[in-house]
Amino acid sequence: MERIISHSPVLIVVIPLISAFLTLVIGLWKKRLCYPFVIIALSLSLFSCIVTLNTVMKSGTIHYYLGNWDPPWGIEYVVDHLNALVLVFVSFISLMVAIYSKESIEQEIPEKVTFFYTVFLLQVTGLLGIVVTGDMFNLYVFLEIASLAGYALIAIGEDGAPLASFRYVVMGTIGACFYLLGVGYLYIMTGSLNMADLTHLLPNLYHSKVIMVAFVFFIVGVAIKMALFPLHAWLPDAYTHAPSAVSALLAPLMTKVGVYVLIRILFTVFRPEFPIKILHATDIMAWFGTFAILFGGIMALSQTDFKRMLCYIIVAEIGYMVGGIGMANATAIKGAIFHIINDMFMAACLFLIAGIVMHETGGHDISDFTGMFRRMPFTAAIFTIGALAVIGVPPTCGFFSKWYLLLGGIQARHWGFVMALLLCTLINVALFFRVIDKGLYVHALEHKLEHASEPKELQFHEAPLSMLIPGFIIAIAIFLIGIFNQAILKNIIEFAVPSGL
Amino acid sequence: MTELLSTNYRPLLAILCPTIVSFLILLSGRRPNLRESWTIIGSILLFLIVLSMTPFVLREGPIKCSLFKLFPGIDFAFNVDAFGLIFATTSSCLWILVSLYSIGYMRGLEEHAQTRYYFCFALAILGATGIALSANLVTMFIFYEILTISTYPLVAHDETPEAIYGGHKYLAYLLTAGVFFLLGILVIYFLVGTTDFNPHGILKPALGSTSRLVLQALFFVFMLGFMKAAWMPVHSWLPTAMVAPTPVSALLHAVAVVKAGVFGIIRTVCYVYGIDLMHELGLGLALGFLASFTIIVANLYAIGQTNLKRLLAYSTINQLSLIILGAAILSPMAVTGAMIHIPFHGFMKITLFLCAGAIIVATGKTEIYQMAGIGRQMPKTMLAFTIAAFGMCGAPPVAGFISKWHFCLGAIQSGQIFFLLIILVGSLLDVIYLFPVIRKAFFEKIPKIELYKEDIEEKVEVFGSEKLEVVETKRPLYLFMIVPLSVTAIFSLILCLFPNTFHIYDLAQMAIKDIFGGM
Repeated sequence: MERIISHSPVLIVVIPLISAFLTLVIGLWKKRLCYPFVIIALSLSLFSCIVTLNTVMKSGTIHYYLGNWDPPWGIEYVVDHLNALVLVFVSFISLMVAIYSKESIEQEIPEKVTFFYTVFLLQVTGLLGIVVTGDMFNLYVFLEIASLAGYALIAIGEDGAPLASFRYVVMGTIGACFYLLGVGYLYIMTGSLNMADLTHLLPNLYHSKVIMVAFVFFIVGVAIKMALFPLHAWLPDAYTHAPSAVSALLAPLMTKVGVYVLIRILFTVFRPEFPIKILHATDIMAWFGTFAILFGGIMALSQTDFKRMLCYIIVAEIGYMVGGIGMANATAIKGAIFHIINDMFMAACLFLIAGIVMHETGGHDISDFTGMFRRMPFTAAIFTIGALAVIGVPPTCGFFSKWYLLLGGIQARHWGFVMALLLCTLINVALFFRVIDKGLYVHALEHKLEHASEPKELQFHEAPLSMLIPGFIIAIAIFLIGIFNQAILKNIIEFAVPSGL
Repeated sequence: MTELLSTNYRPLLAILCPTIVSFLILLSGRRPNLRESWTIIGSILLFLIVLSMTPFVLREGPIKCSLFKLFPGIDFAFNVDAFGLIFATTSSCLWILVSLYSIGYMRGLEEHAQTRYYFCFALAILGATGIALSANLVTMFIFYEILTISTYPLVAHDETPEAIYGGHKYLAYLLTAGVFFLLGILVIYFLVGTTDFNPHGILKPALGSTSRLVLQALFFVFMLGFMKAAWMPVHSWLPTAMVAPTPVSALLHAVAVVKAGVFGIIRTVCYVYGIDLMHELGLGLALGFLASFTIIVANLYAIGQTNLKRLLAYSTINQLSLIILGAAILSPMAVTGAMIHIPFHGFMKITLFLCAGAIIVATGKTEIYQMAGIGRQMPKTMLAFTIAAFGMCGAPPVAGFISKWHFCLGAIQSGQIFFLLIILVGSLLDVIYLFPVIRKAFFEKIPKIELYKEDIEEKVEVFGSEKLEVVETKRPLYLFMIVPLSVTAIFSLILCLFPNTFHIYDLAQMAIKDIFGGM
């Protein structure tokens, strides 16, 4: 047990990685065993993440040397409060989506089940690896693993998916290459790839042009990966046309992990005074965040396809987080970090619902939600909770992170960001109540369907349990995270806020 | 177990009651009688819980119950003080009556989606009770949003295009108000680090760190946050929301939503800003002018209405601004009047609305010009209407007289004669649009043609006299409607003779002592 605990940081990544290859073998032998195997693998990974978080909360930052090679020559995994928190929730959401995926995949891509689960596990490996590592180049490796797995997963979707994936390939590779260029410049100037090491080596070089250019490459590369306006163009098509389980996995996780990388680069590798005072990068980020919020909101209003609407909401949510980071004070950063967690849950909840509706009706347009409260009351309840969370109605989690972001904005006197957040709240109201209306108001439809006492279109036909239960768990989590937000904030996020703010 | 019943946990019980009822309603959708029983039992239980807290609060002061931490310095907490109990008593008592009435109304009209209706009703009462009992602005905000969102399906219940439009307008106004409210709360938290209600106000320390203009602008932001109180010009959601079924309108206009709005305003004036700060910033006058404008203009609008419910809507807007004016005058008697007008107006207005609904169910008439002679067809209903109308105009022996008396004395007490005039002119205008309805109902002859319409089953021979069949007790279901509206009318009389029913007057006195004590 002791050994497991001491090796938990690497187990987090190794388990899904090895399981990916094993899934391929098992699947080629007996297709039906893939699903349980994936669930077991992800549960073990979640367990390691929880153990890691526990260790970090008890004894502080973990430094784990891969293969016992000392840093900075070997690869080091550094887990502090920020990573540990994100790790737990990334693996939790992956597990939920994996449980949910069975029915969805069997309906949408029945002939590719084995390959789907293999690449799914590789995707999760990549995501977890990005978060757990403490080495810049190792991060690039996992970034590419995650991205390539993502491209493959998206491309097996419906019509338009291969093209959407191709656009993502092009833009994503540019993003990854920019990141690599940044790493390269840092390596040339400092000779080190280790994040903790760079923190010590860089302050002397803060005024060097090479470092400044490296920083800019990092930011632009990460911005492409996390779909910050205006580099978001790949996201709507990619997540709309992907299979439901894929959107449910990627939408909550991929972009938020990108925000995590941003925080790492901005405040851990480069000390806070560099982006804030020397480069004034945070000021620019604050405005990009504000525009992202407004852009995402307005574009979402014009969509008739539900999944596309959600994609633009994600663009706006990234704007919240980047804007929060741009406020450059402790309150706003707390809000941004908390919002990473909250947005994971909210996006997972909503994309899960989109998948359920797709499973039941074959489409993901807003008109497919007609009569949802009558046909699928539990699904509708989960949807309402997710919608209220995005709108920011207390006591769902969305309210609490919005509070911190708004408070941070007021503290920084950045009224543009504050107004954009408040306006986006109202836009979200319009967006979701449009859908709720369609789901709730069936009286006119009933009359049209010729007074049948239970017209067939409005018959009760709820989603299968394996899709509903993850939805329920996520919906309950949305409430619990909101109500117990102080527990998370006081015990974990307080320590994750970079010092010196 | 007995610990759970101890007074400290009563506020929690009061909140749990409507929550549990709402879930039970959802579960009993297929058995209408069981479903309605949950509502009735729950409402009686809630009323008893609230009543049980009153003697304790009168003797020993507020009941505090803090549940968990929301933010540093802000708990999800209840602080049952005298003023909150006034509102809670009003809403819980009227829930019982409106629920009984709903049974008659909804079944009489064979309405659809009744489970959704009762479910949202219970949630709305949860919101109202939570607002009444909350200890700080953030807790109040949580229940504010619950109230807004739960009443939306109620407004759009009919699902006709007009109803859905009304619902959208309702939501647009009130959720925008929620955003302003949130902004106000954030700025207060930013300025003073707390949002707890305190009878002497919490914002005084902020005078040192920000300018007076900021605090004055902040008050205006709060007023925008309280669009629920339907002050002009952000009132127009209210007449449009009349498209809702009548028990919902009764709920909106007497019990939950609008009273939550004025409750919030009085809380902000007395318990967040405090009387001292209001005087210093000159906000009393500003608020008073806003309220006066609304009183006069709303009454003028009311005069021109033909639809009975719309007329009552404008009458409500007028009376709500009367409450706001009472708070704005900032003198003990006026604020007392504002506090007691919350329940008094509640009972009177609900009587009026329940009568309007009974008329719709029994005869299908919605416009005033159709209601000639209806006093003969529905005598008990129109008698109740008359009693309540007298009260609206401030005439004794109906409750409205007591509160208007307090308002006028309060205005004189603080020397604001202009506001006194507004109150008196407003009462006069009340008469101008309410009494014609009464006159039409009782004193106009029904044109002969009426008698051969389908809604009167037996053609009665009439030769110019007014012998007409009483319609209001034609079906036993109508008793569910007549009894509640008679009860509220009788209460309107009782409250005038005994203003201390349910300790309302004592509670108001106690609240005033806390607010003005030491002044």
